[in-house]
Amino acid sequence: MLKILVFMPVFGAALIAVLPASRPALLWRAAMAFALAALAYALWLATQFDAGGPAIQMFESRAWNARLGSHFALGVDGISLAMVLLTALLTLIAVLISRRMENSARLYFVLVLLLESAIFGVFTARDWSLFYVFWEATLIPLFFLIERLGGPNRQRAALNFFLYTLGGSVFMLVALLFLYDAAPGHSFAMADMAEGGRSLPLHTQLLIFAGLFAGFAVKMPVVPLHGWLPLAHVEAPSPVSILLSGVLLKMGAYGLIRAAETLPAALLATQDWLAVLALVSMLYGGILAWRQQDLKAMIAYSSISHMGIVLLGIATLNVTGLTGAVFQMVAHGLAAGLLFLIIGLLYQRTHSRDLADYGALLGRAPRFAFFTGFAFLAAIGLPGSAGFIGEVHALIGGFGRWGGWMLIIGLGMLIGAAYSLRVVNRLCLRGPAMELADMKRTEMAAAALLAACIVVLGFWPAPLLALVAGSVDVVARLFGG
Amino acid sequence: MIELLRPLPEVVWLVPLLPLLALIVNGARVLLGRASGDAAEPLTARLSAVAALGSLLLLLAIDLLALLEGVPGHRVIGVWFGSGPWQGTLSFLLDGLSLSVATVCAAIGWLVVRFSANYLHREAGFHRYFIVLCLFLSGIQFVLLAGNGLLAFVGWEMCGVASFLLIGYAWQRPVATGNALFAFVTNRGGDAGFLLGLGFAAVWLGSFEWPVIVGDNSLGVASARLIALGFVLAALAKSAQLPFSPWIARALEGPTPSSAVFYGAVMVHAGVYLMLRLEPLLAQVPDVLLLLTALGALTAFYAWFCGLVQTDVKSALIFATLFQVSLMFVAIGLGWTTLATVHLCMHAAWRAWQFLLAPSWLVLAGQRPAPPPAWLRDKPVLYTLAVQRFWLDKVSYELLVQPTNAFARDVRNLEEHFLDPAIGEPGKGRAPDPERPLVRADGLPGRLLAATSDVLQRIENRLLLQGRGGTAERILKRLGGYLQTLENLLEQPRYLMLAVMATFVVIL
Repeated sequence: MLKILVFMPVFGAALIAVLPASRPALLWRAAMAFALAALAYALWLATQFDAGGPAIQMFESRAWNARLGSHFALGVDGISLAMVLLTALLTLIAVLISRRMENSARLYFVLVLLLESAIFGVFTARDWSLFYVFWEATLIPLFFLIERLGGPNRQRAALNFFLYTLGGSVFMLVALLFLYDAAPGHSFAMADMAEGGRSLPLHTQLLIFAGLFAGFAVKMPVVPLHGWLPLAHVEAPSPVSILLSGVLLKMGAYGLIRAAETLPAALLATQDWLAVLALVSMLYGGILAWRQQDLKAMIAYSSISHMGIVLLGIATLNVTGLTGAVFQMVAHGLAAGLLFLIIGLLYQRTHSRDLADYGALLGRAPRFAFFTGFAFLAAIGLPGSAGFIGEVHALIGGFGRWGGWMLIIGLGMLIGAAYSLRVVNRLCLRGPAMELADMKRTEMAAAALLAACIVVLGFWPAPLLALVAGSVDVVARLFGG
Repeated sequence: MIELLRPLPEVVWLVPLLPLLALIVNGARVLLGRASGDAAEPLTARLSAVAALGSLLLLLAIDLLALLEGVPGHRVIGVWFGSGPWQGTLSFLLDGLSLSVATVCAAIGWLVVRFSANYLHREAGFHRYFIVLCLFLSGIQFVLLAGNGLLAFVGWEMCGVASFLLIGYAWQRPVATGNALFAFVTNRGGDAGFLLGLGFAAVWLGSFEWPVIVGDNSLGVASARLIALGFVLAALAKSAQLPFSPWIARALEGPTPSSAVFYGAVMVHAGVYLMLRLEPLLAQVPDVLLLLTALGALTAFYAWFCGLVQTDVKSALIFATLFQVSLMFVAIGLGWTTLATVHLCMHAAWRAWQFLLAPSWLVLAGQRPAPPPAWLRDKPVLYTLAVQRFWLDKVSYELLVQPTNAFARDVRNLEEHFLDPAIGEPGKGRAPDPERPLVRADGLPGRLLAATSDVLQRIENRLLLQGRGGTAERILKRLGGYLQTLENLLEQPRYLMLAVMATFVVIL
């Protein structure tokens, strides 16, 4: 079943590649069809998923390289299913708002669908070698998306992004090979490796974890390994920024949760250090975001800040914190997606990302004003938005472990409110107005879809919580929480 | 018959709710613009009257049941909220005291509503008056019937707000609004006492329910004294006993029927009722009872003495009322609670009638009011004391209002000169980076943030390969330069051949 999910976008990409490039509307329709199909299929999978059932469901495995012990194994648990749904949704959004792609639409749609496929692969792989292959496979479409379609600094940004992530994943590869070597059984399957990994002595676990963490921390990103992110986010075309910030970052956090299953002793030993890194990331990203006047750079840095909360939730290693981490992953995906969507649309119209070039949108473009205000308030994590649930869980989980240190989260939120409200103040309240064409219908639909998801999850988080509860329990039980 | 009456104590919450419903309906009519002109008046008055009559009839029915089968006692209707071990419940205490007083008050309330319909005809604030009156009727029933202190406090505050609104009924006159504020603020002092009592009860007894507060004999004398003192403070303020007396003389600005129901008959007795309700608690602390007696006696003297020189009918009536009420306090202080209860009910009924008649008193009496007695007239000092009401207003102004004002001024100065700049004010910030004029910070936290962001930005510029003189970029550029040279060299055939040969050597 999952094979279809992973390879359907590839099929779509192949189909679009042979369509005539001179008819962008047709290309868009085809891409929409496949993105919709992927979302529908992912939703159907979610209905098939039994939240109270076994940890890994829809598992399928076949030997890939029997001599090496690698398998083509796919399967989902609650966490990966949540991520799959988020990916499908954000890809749909990225395609939906690209209706008026000016040039190289074919390349764009092909690459986006390939990217979707690779991300599905990362989230559903149940074999570390397969995971690594998909992990690397995401780089290629992204590299070309940034390099071909990005802003003025795109070459440098693409290269930077590629080198950083590749550098990180080299460590990851070495760590995986080391784990493969150290663990008895010589199999790359996640379950086997987890069993082998758990029985390793602490210092071996720490060594392997350091390698894995380097790979995941670059992706997440964790300060000081975040160098690629501001440049890539700023230079990438906006729909790609949605995917980058909304989904790609989550791959790092997701990998970290999987690593936690494999190397529990190492996680327990480094728990406090991870929390320190998380808090540093949060403040560092927040303060730098506050300093930016470039809207996209600001949101890029705020992503670092929000992923700090995810890392903190993971570092708590208890049910509440982990739930908060997963919830925050989804919430941030939605909120950052909405933010980049809005900023991208504004950029499309004004060709400026500098806040100083914008005025009040209230009179001329009320829809823009509404969604900008909504998106920034949701990004702060206002009660009633999905981010609030995630942050509160992470906060409570962290409080149980570290007590008063969690006040730093409050400080981070305060800084977040400072820069968000600055933009809201400039764009959504009365002031010197600016001329701007309001949102089109498809753009409205995309923004409304994301906004609806944020509000629904904010007021009725139960379905998502129930979806991830079983998987989070499995992870937390390893740590006695 | 009895069978029909039996479920009634379960719906006793309707008694305060009915006036509240009338309030909501009338309020909605006003808000929707449906209540204007003469034609709308009868409906407003009738709705209020029906609600008041409904409350009265319900209470009478419960009285009948109580007479036939004994009092229903403490009834918990539902849980309002729960927080940890504390529970705020919707509970009602129906015993002889609450039922008798509540019935009298409901009867007075209904009659006053009926009376007001004609009295206020074509007044500008006709609808407003009835809305506030309904608020009061609901509030007072909460006070009287509530089974716990929390619910009683809700009613207590409703009465306070209603009293404030009706004293300021003629809001166009500065005197009226000033007096409304005076009365309200004075009453807040009593409210603080009420809250204090409730808080102590919650901490030491873990409950707000009257039976628990009253019936717990395990409490130490000191604790019991503190709880009692809190409630005594509330009662003194509400019933205008010394030192809170001055407010009631200034509270007569409202329409006469409202004065009747608030200060003549019902609300002024709320403090007495509270003391009666807490009588078993007070019995544990004789010194508080002594205090009540002393203050009651003092107030009685004050009211009698000032009443001698009053020249208008409402003021004379209010001092007479105050005198009677302080006698009730004396009775409670001496332990004669039954006497106080009977006194309360009879005085309420009598005084309501007197107040309602006040506008026609001159006609009814047919003569000028009696002058002050001769012994008072001959002693200028005593006479001035009485006319000036012992300067209590002035004393409180000098002792409380002036220092508070001065203190507030100082705090305001402190805030303007130190706190505001320290915290930061909107629109005054400076940009840490001249290239980004919109990123501004003010105040200590803002400056701290700006300074931190300066440092971080510098680190970031170095971390990123994006230049602006970053070290990483310089190193990379230099490395790139070397590689470029190497590549250029390799492109020349001789070095290419050399490289190929070297490769062969290595392979071989």
